[in-house]
Amino acid sequence: MFNYKKKAALMSALLLTSGAALADYPEKPITLIVGFSAGGGTDVMARNVAPFIEKYLGDGASIVVKNMPGASGQIGITEVAHSDPDGYTLGTYNLPGMMARTLDRDAKYDAESFTYLANVVSDPNVIVTSKRSGITTAQQFIEQAQEAPRSITVGMSSLGGDDHLGLTKFQNITDTEYTIIPFKGSSAARTAILGGHVSAGVLNISEVAAFKDELNVIGVAKAERSEYAPNVPTFAEQGVDFTNGALRGFVAPAGLPEDIQAKLLDAFDKATKDPELLAKMKATANPVEVTLGEDFEQLNNELHDLANQVWQTTPWK
Amino acid sequence: MYGDLLAALPNVVSIENFLAIVIGVLAGIAVGAMPGLSATMAISVLVPFTFGLDPLVALGLMAGIYNGAMYGGAIPAVLLRIPGTPAAVATSFDGYPMAQQGRGGYALQVAVVSSAFGGIASALALMLLAPPLAKVTLLFGPAEVFWIAVFGLCSIIFLLGESPIKGLISACFGIFVSMIGADPITSEERFTFGYLELFDGISIVILLVGLYAMPPVIDLLETPLETKGAGKALHTESIFKAFPRMFGYWKTWIRSSLIGIWIGILPGAGGSMAAFMSYNEARRSSNNPEQWGEGEPEGVAASETANNADTASALIPALTLGIPGTAVAAVMLGGLLVHGLQPGPMLFRDNADVVFGFMWQFLFGAILLIFLGGSLATNSFANLLKLPRPILGSIIIVLMFIGVYSINERMFDVYLMLIFGMIGYVMDKFKFPLPPVVLGLILGGFAEENLRLTLLIGRGDWMALFNNTTSLVLVALTIAVIVGPMIKRRLVKQRKP
Repeated sequence: MFNYKKKAALMSALLLTSGAALADYPEKPITLIVGFSAGGGTDVMARNVAPFIEKYLGDGASIVVKNMPGASGQIGITEVAHSDPDGYTLGTYNLPGMMARTLDRDAKYDAESFTYLANVVSDPNVIVTSKRSGITTAQQFIEQAQEAPRSITVGMSSLGGDDHLGLTKFQNITDTEYTIIPFKGSSAARTAILGGHVSAGVLNISEVAAFKDELNVIGVAKAERSEYAPNVPTFAEQGVDFTNGALRGFVAPAGLPEDIQAKLLDAFDKATKDPELLAKMKATANPVEVTLGEDFEQLNNELHDLANQVWQTTPWK
Repeated sequence: MYGDLLAALPNVVSIENFLAIVIGVLAGIAVGAMPGLSATMAISVLVPFTFGLDPLVALGLMAGIYNGAMYGGAIPAVLLRIPGTPAAVATSFDGYPMAQQGRGGYALQVAVVSSAFGGIASALALMLLAPPLAKVTLLFGPAEVFWIAVFGLCSIIFLLGESPIKGLISACFGIFVSMIGADPITSEERFTFGYLELFDGISIVILLVGLYAMPPVIDLLETPLETKGAGKALHTESIFKAFPRMFGYWKTWIRSSLIGIWIGILPGAGGSMAAFMSYNEARRSSNNPEQWGEGEPEGVAASETANNADTASALIPALTLGIPGTAVAAVMLGGLLVHGLQPGPMLFRDNADVVFGFMWQFLFGAILLIFLGGSLATNSFANLLKLPRPILGSIIIVLMFIGVYSINERMFDVYLMLIFGMIGYVMDKFKFPLPPVVLGLILGGFAEENLRLTLLIGRGDWMALFNNTTSLVLVALTIAVIVGPMIKRRLVKQRKP
């Protein structure tokens, strides 16, 4: 591994001195910064996708995954935002988290700091209830909250994450009010729901796929049914126009040269259509839904607006 | 269900799998023995490399590392009073005095046999009782977990040392450190001074290395002219001769195993709390509690049994419910996910061969510990102590830097460790006890988070802390631990005159 790195560095040095043109990108290893520790959901996605980007960039391209965990991804993404836009630093990007951090914290980056490459994973929110609660449909969930506002406790992984913004969206759409219980991470929230310590929860479909028999999954916040839980109706089917989820993708620093950007976009496009990668993503519970380039940037802006709207009306700190 | 367990055995008995476990145990012992390197770190470094391996081989490595590291932490704890892992703090209480008396070899043998006993008990609990024990975990919501934390904090009483005031100041310092970082509910920054690196709070490993390793190292370097070895000789005898002497600890082994398994299935606290609690319990029921802390082998046995007994049991909630009982279990969940094994009730149905194979590997890892750990401890580490003091001290400093740097690959953590090192040095000189700091950090944050969750769920009603049976039982236990010794002392006094 180490030898390989050395060799690669040596080779790239030789190439540089021979005055290789930009069109030869990549001529040295690309660093992919992951803002979470090894083994987490974002890390697994990055390590799954990286070899396929190497494959479709071709010419012996190599990607080195570098974990820079801390402050829910903020340390890593700040590093990406301040790196040289030469195509040799890429980063994983989480939505709506990365945009929410620009609101609730003093972040040293904003929506303009990045070149948006590809959003690869879209993990839709689900609302689940504990077996003990007796709530099995969206209608019951809404009616009970309308009769007695704040009577239902809803667990989630944190404030300012996709689940929190999702529930706020749901409350606005349905004119309801719930008691929000932010746990430390979604598995803690899920356990509290399993044990009946809170009556409901907002999670992501990948987190409940293995618990379908132990929880009531009352709806999926997605336009169509998810392949992870084909028996669970969407909220739209139940008359509530509610879609939301957690997104995970890849960005580069703002100002990436156009030819490099085009090359990367092409590689991401091909990689995310590779059946081998899709199978790997399914096995590691990463629901793939690809949004490339400008569409991704637009998606980012939409989620920024949603987060901002929630932050303005109901700041969480 | 037990049919699946047996069916998984043939898959495990292969050369590669055994090799993986052996390498894992050896690597684990080495990692555990180095201050600053922990099982959590070793496994998280390993996970990305296991992508290409067969799942069982990868899991075998992890199981081996976990078992090995929990014992490895005892080695420097006994020989140098530097716990290699947070869970080995309680091992140093009696282990180090034993080494000073020239019984270091026996202390390590007790540690390795106790570790293996705890590990085996824990693996059996995982194999035979995982589904029912998972239901127990579900009984523990925020209110119950809060009371567990309070119960644990009460055990600080036993760690206060000679001066209760100094002990309490230490505990408060630990609780203060637990408050640094993002507020557990609102993510409001507390005492971070704008440093993102402080946002996730202070890692227990950084605190431990600074606080525990720095004072002894400075101590080693303070007398540089003395080029003799740092410690007394180990005076080891064959483990087979030493073994029969250990049978007297059977009660402690069983009690500590149960405590370790119990703490393991509860989310959050982990090996260090298991070791502290079982040390306290063992001392309370000992016939000669006054000798504890002076080199009582049973103290080593209690601590080491418990910190290995929580290994496999921490995986019970992890595998069945997807909630890790300890930081190591959390990393292992990541390792499982990499191989497409989604933790949860479905895991036992869909991937029974791998899950039960993993359990067998835990059992084998624990048994192998006796053979690998026994000879390693007595042969290799005895030579370590023959090194001149300045060289030994320098080696440990290098290891501390590498270990702390490698947690997140940043120098910030190293500087933080040095600050804690200075604090630790001063505390040590002024005889402030260090264990309450560790417990304060671990349990303070734990108590705060769960208290606030309980109040949120109860919509501000404090009675939410008392309105279920499990909580009330825990409250009663806590009161018994505080008041029990007082009443006992009074009764003894009344009888005397």
